Amino acid sequence: MTYFPEEVVEHIFDFLSSHRDRNIVSTVCKAWYRVERLSRRSVFVGNCYAVRPGRVMARFPGTKCLSVKGKPHFADFNLVPHDWGGFALPWIEAAARGCPGLEELRLKRMVVSDESLELLARSFPNFKALVLVSCEGFSTDGLAAIATHCRGLRELDLQENEVEDHGRQWLSCFPDSCTSLESLNFACLKGEVNAGALERLVARCVNLRSLKLNRAISVESLARILVRTPHLVELGTGSFTVEHRAEAYQRLIHAFRKCKSLKSLSGFWDVAPRCLQSIYSICPNLTVLNLSYAPAIQGADLVKLIRHCFKLQKLWVLDCIGDKGLAVVASTCKELQELRVFPSDIYGTGTAAVTEEGLVAISSGCSKLNSLLYFCHQMTNAALITVAKNCPHFTRFRLCILDPGKPDPDTNQPLDEGFGAIVRSCNDLRRLSLSGLLTDTVFLYIGEYAARLEMLSIAFAGDSDKGMVYVLNGCKNLRKLEIRDSPFGDAALLENVGKYETMRSLWMSSCDVTLGGCKALAAKMPRLNVEVINDRVESDEMEENPSDMHKVEKMYVYRTLAGARNDAPEFVDIL
Amino acid sequence: MHSISPSVKPQQIGDRVQLEMELELGLALPGSDRTPELVGVHGEKRASLCRKRGVDEMLGKATLPLFIRKDNDEDGDDDGRQSKHLQELNFGSRVLVGWPPVKMWRRKSDDCGRRRANCVKVNMEGVAIGRKVDLCLHDSYQALFLTLTQMFPKKQHDGEESDAAYYKVTYEDEDGDWMLVGDVPWEAFIQSVRRLKILD
Repeated sequence: MTYFPEEVVEHIFDFLSSHRDRNIVSTVCKAWYRVERLSRRSVFVGNCYAVRPGRVMARFPGTKCLSVKGKPHFADFNLVPHDWGGFALPWIEAAARGCPGLEELRLKRMVVSDESLELLARSFPNFKALVLVSCEGFSTDGLAAIATHCRGLRELDLQENEVEDHGRQWLSCFPDSCTSLESLNFACLKGEVNAGALERLVARCVNLRSLKLNRAISVESLARILVRTPHLVELGTGSFTVEHRAEAYQRLIHAFRKCKSLKSLSGFWDVAPRCLQSIYSICPNLTVLNLSYAPAIQGADLVKLIRHCFKLQKLWVLDCIGDKGLAVVASTCKELQELRVFPSDIYGTGTAAVTEEGLVAISSGCSKLNSLLYFCHQMTNAALITVAKNCPHFTRFRLCILDPGKPDPDTNQPLDEGFGAIVRSCNDLRRLSLSGLLTDTVFLYIGEYAARLEMLSIAFAGDSDKGMVYVLNGCKNLRKLEIRDSPFGDAALLENVGKYETMRSLWMSSCDVTLGGCKALAAKMPRLNVEVINDRVESDEMEENPSDMHKVEKMYVYRTLAGARNDAPEFVDIL
Repeated sequence: MHSISPSVKPQQIGDRVQLEMELELGLALPGSDRTPELVGVHGEKRASLCRKRGVDEMLGKATLPLFIRKDNDEDGDDDGRQSKHLQELNFGSRVLVGWPPVKMWRRKSDDCGRRRANCVKVNMEGVAIGRKVDLCLHDSYQALFLTLTQMFPKKQHDGEESDAAYYKVTYEDEDGDWMLVGDVPWEAFIQSVRRLKILD
């Protein structure tokens, strides 16, 4: 192969779409390394602290699409202190210096300042797509900069970010000459935008296929927008508050009928049950439906809607759909691949909304199901065993029983056997989240059978260090392990230290790991950053220098080529 | 934190919690505006919680300082509503950071959803404690009356519960006038109602 001219090798590499494959071929020999790095167009950095930004740009000067992730996953649940890190600015600066041809930037769980957005807007003349997921630190001023300066922008996709509202004019900053938008998602913004500017913008962007509005957009405005965008494929509605006898509602129904290409719907923030009828005409074409922001819709109305959605592949709902509602989904949505059932009553103690029955019904009706996120009040081993038999194609299985450590209510047994059945049956399982009462046995099963598992989330589970060791020794493809409130200590942490260099990261909080254990790990493995995160006001008993016996509240370990980061706040110790 | 007397027989768990929150009795269930206090199974502070948990504790057999269990569930059989009730409140008493694992962003949206819900206060003549009803969850007067009878069950002198139709319910509209409920179309009613009063 080394006798092929470089252009041929490069052409062959064009067929390698995955990052993993390209990473592997680059290690074959120096010639391939060189060809690969110069021809790489899409770069994915799973942990922003694993490598210095400058090094990435130097290695891949032709980068057109850069994707970077920052905070650990548990940051989504407030377990990572606010100022921990994950700043986007160094990446944007490095890209501006090293890869000015950048066209796409995707950031997840990072702190993005207005300053970095302004730099981004001015540094890349060919910039086409900005996707920010679960980020924070910016305001509508930063968005205004993007709108103003990014000529030829095709995609602006803001998913679940914390954005400060500094006024309603950012959308008006898209110049009249901007006609290139294909995807615009500002659903997470809290403030108002100029409705007229929005309507004019969507009207002149004839290639617009995906539009997700925020809650501030009225039904009247939505109706006017839809008239101008009959070719939309994905729509996120605004608030959807309307009196069903109002003229605006009639116009909306009429507009929906014209949108023959709509395949994906979300939003519905404040929809009243009756107004769901307006989308019945679209339902037979829908492949994606997200009703998880509509708590006012109870099971009966959801069911009426879903009976029309027989092509549905992805469904996100609240648990008020109930077990009966899920049975209707099972009988109607034979193409279903992904289901997410979110809890509607997080703090309350209302009557149970979904149980194991709903999940069993889904599994028997939807044989193509491969991705699940299910919040429920209880689960049984028998149900999980049935689900495992019915749906052997799970790649993602995340089960959250709301009461931590709750056993099988029928037998009072732990759920080891149930989850064991899942990992045994689902050979392609890549992601797993456990809950309920679990002993070390479930980890024995996971280590033994979950050969393709890449990400494992553990909470309130296990009896001893053995549990964690089973996983570390068994799951050869494990990349991310996150554990909270489980009795794993130093012995488990130090049992297989080499494993951590094969993984992206390990998170442990409220476990039994001590400071001494963390220090030992850091000493043995210099290419790991062992971060000890202290985020609470220290009590009087805590000395300036806590002893090695002191249990560590939060620990985050990750492999890195960059050494200890220099932007860590004072409550983070990098050992 | 206060203790709950298990002799109170709630109609529904949800009602009971709501009643207690109105009275400000009961557990410090976290509301959207309260910072969760970190407590463990026995109410101890989080710092000393890292220890192995026995299966017994997990099964809820440990006595919590906040509960007095009337029944002794030695073999753990769920004997119906009472222990299920306690089990659910059991979870509620343990305020855990980041649990359940729902994205913060989604929780905030949910809270906003609740604030936007059309909740109006309901008082009954002669009853000290008022309730709240979310009109968004009702689509007709019939549905509303059903909820009201559940919230304020009316007892005749002979101890029987009376028919909801005998209720006279009035409402204060946006002009501050008190009107009889049921005279205007439902949709108009929910736009203008500010609060409800049940006449005895």
